[in-house]
Amino acid sequence: MNIKQRTKRRKLVLLIAPILVIASLLLGLMAGSVPVALVDIWHALTARGDSPQDTIVFDLRLPRVLIGLLTGACLAASGAILQGVMRNPLADPGVIGVSSGAGLAAVITMVLLPQLSYLLPAAAFLGALVSSVIIYSLSWDKGASPGKIVLAGIALNALIGAIMNGVMVMYSDRIQAVLPWLSGGLNGRSWHHLSFMLPYALVGLVLSFLAIKPVNLLMLGDDSAKLLGQKVELQRMLLILLASLLAGTAVSVAGLIGFVGLIVPHAIRLMIGDDYRFLMPASILGGAALVALADTAARTVLDPVELPVGILLAVLGAPFFLYLLRKRSNWR
Amino acid sequence: MTAAETKGLTLERGMFKLTDVNAIIPNGKITAIVGPNGSGKSTLLSLITGLSSPDEGSITILGKPAEHYSRADFARTVSMLPQSKEFMPNVTVRELIEYGRSPHRSMFSQRLSKEDQDVIEWAMRLMRIRRHDDRMFHTLSGGEQQKARIAMALAQRTGLLLLDEPTTYLDIAHQLEVLEALVSLNRQQQTTVVMVLHDLQQAAAYCDHMIAMKDGEIHSAGDPRTVITKGFMREVYELEAKVSFDGHYPIIIPVRKQNEEEQTMIIVTNTSQIVKGSGDKLVERFDRIGKVEQMEGFLGLEVLWTQNLKEYDEVAVVTRWTSKDAFQAWTKSEAFRESHKHRNIPDYILDNKITFQEVKIKRNPITEAALGETAAQ
Repeated sequence: MNIKQRTKRRKLVLLIAPILVIASLLLGLMAGSVPVALVDIWHALTARGDSPQDTIVFDLRLPRVLIGLLTGACLAASGAILQGVMRNPLADPGVIGVSSGAGLAAVITMVLLPQLSYLLPAAAFLGALVSSVIIYSLSWDKGASPGKIVLAGIALNALIGAIMNGVMVMYSDRIQAVLPWLSGGLNGRSWHHLSFMLPYALVGLVLSFLAIKPVNLLMLGDDSAKLLGQKVELQRMLLILLASLLAGTAVSVAGLIGFVGLIVPHAIRLMIGDDYRFLMPASILGGAALVALADTAARTVLDPVELPVGILLAVLGAPFFLYLLRKRSNWR
Repeated sequence: MTAAETKGLTLERGMFKLTDVNAIIPNGKITAIVGPNGSGKSTLLSLITGLSSPDEGSITILGKPAEHYSRADFARTVSMLPQSKEFMPNVTVRELIEYGRSPHRSMFSQRLSKEDQDVIEWAMRLMRIRRHDDRMFHTLSGGEQQKARIAMALAQRTGLLLLDEPTTYLDIAHQLEVLEALVSLNRQQQTTVVMVLHDLQQAAAYCDHMIAMKDGEIHSAGDPRTVITKGFMREVYELEAKVSFDGHYPIIIPVRKQNEEEQTMIIVTNTSQIVKGSGDKLVERFDRIGKVEQMEGFLGLEVLWTQNLKEYDEVAVVTRWTSKDAFQAWTKSEAFRESHKHRNIPDYILDNKITFQEVKIKRNPITEAALGETAAQ
């Protein structure tokens, strides 16, 4: 890739990504077992009546699409930050224990307090944060190097996974409600889910833009970043917390959606390079569009059967990721 | 005022060790840090720049304790080219050098100021990589990459610039180009430059001050012409060499070691206790054992006759051989067997034993060493 190609690709990506986001929003509102025309959407949003169509658009599809957009944006931002902080193209929110921590918290909530299923998002969110803090503390030894964090993450993820499976086997009768959440999906998500995640998502996404400069410098290596005046350990800790907040927000509502945090920033990096001034916004927009589109596909492709979007993303994401790896990667 | 000063710097990290290092970096000068691999040069640099912290000791930068600087302040005062070839992001040369401006920019500023632009231009021109500014860093040759990294450190516009092996990965022409650029930086901007260098000639030719390190300690420091001597070569690099100067350029000609690999020798000592006064007989008897001096691998023979106060005398016949095989070849030789045939052990020999010793030979060119000492003084 030379600079001309890169400039062209940057422009292209930053032009297409917002269009994709808008397209995914409109498509998400239009498509479904009851197709709605574009004009009717406009009507439903601006002059809402009591017609079933308005209800479908406003109460069912709109919150769900918005949740999809936010979920994708948060996961992609989280993955982008982690890949930079860890200087590792395979880092994703799972590495810092977000998925396993949220999963265990969700399962335990369902087992102990099955009647309080509305607590699930909050519990998953806390679980995600707590497990990343534990992983970060475990890796601390006069500083937490990326390598140690990854190792501590692998160990704790294995442990948490085992506990979670154990609980699920012992209380298999009580975990029915948590199963769709574990495979990741937006089925039945509505306004109150959106209002739960919105504040965290907005704070996280705004902070992602503040993370651009520190991540760019951390990519140069710990020594170089320190020599350029960065407080490396502090920044790394705050950035990991931010990544955990973003991914925790996403999985609390959408369940364990994998691959978005890994492939979106990775694919965009291959297209436009490592500079986070472009990578971060492009990843956020790309992640948002991807999840929203995938969710629309998940509920329409096999209509009336609805696929969990997490499964669809993994099925599509895995081959795409392999394709990317086969193509030349500039990570050494 | 010194640009940097360390007092009693001590650090132990596994293999890396520094002991009581008191280094002085003179202000506005070019200082070279030299010494063998693993002598602590890079460790000293990373301590001065705060990349690692010492177990004991203190560091002063421009008269102010290093720990009184904030990390950002420090980055506006001291810059460094690290040795490690860490992962480099996929960016253009200009973008990489722009990172060097970050200590001078706020976290939120997106646009480079006029000053930032000017400094980046200046750094690229000084390192002569202006023509590559729009190329991706990864597509440059190793030498050009190194120059781009140096330009990034230059863009910090600090009064003290430390470089860990700046000329590594460069061919000789590029090495001299970089060194010349650093000299002109020093002369024009009075920037204090500290470099870890492996090439003593270049170190002496381009630097005003030299610090030589050995085993984590400072061996010597001062004007390169007084530091680089025959004794210095031997003590610091364990190398015998002739040293002379052509202007500022030291000419170091290594003296080839006579026997590069270590040699061993077998000493066979045949000790006989004999009746007092019968030594002559034994020596005479030994003289008749044939042709030892013609054997392959024979190094020498001594006969030691001890007349002591005990009730017997002792005669030791010592032969030296290049190997045990050589000795055994002699005992199996015709001449040896011939001389031992039909001979009984005479009654004046009371006792007899043979010992073997394998020893290492260390050839110490005493005269060379002595000459070296006088030359050094």
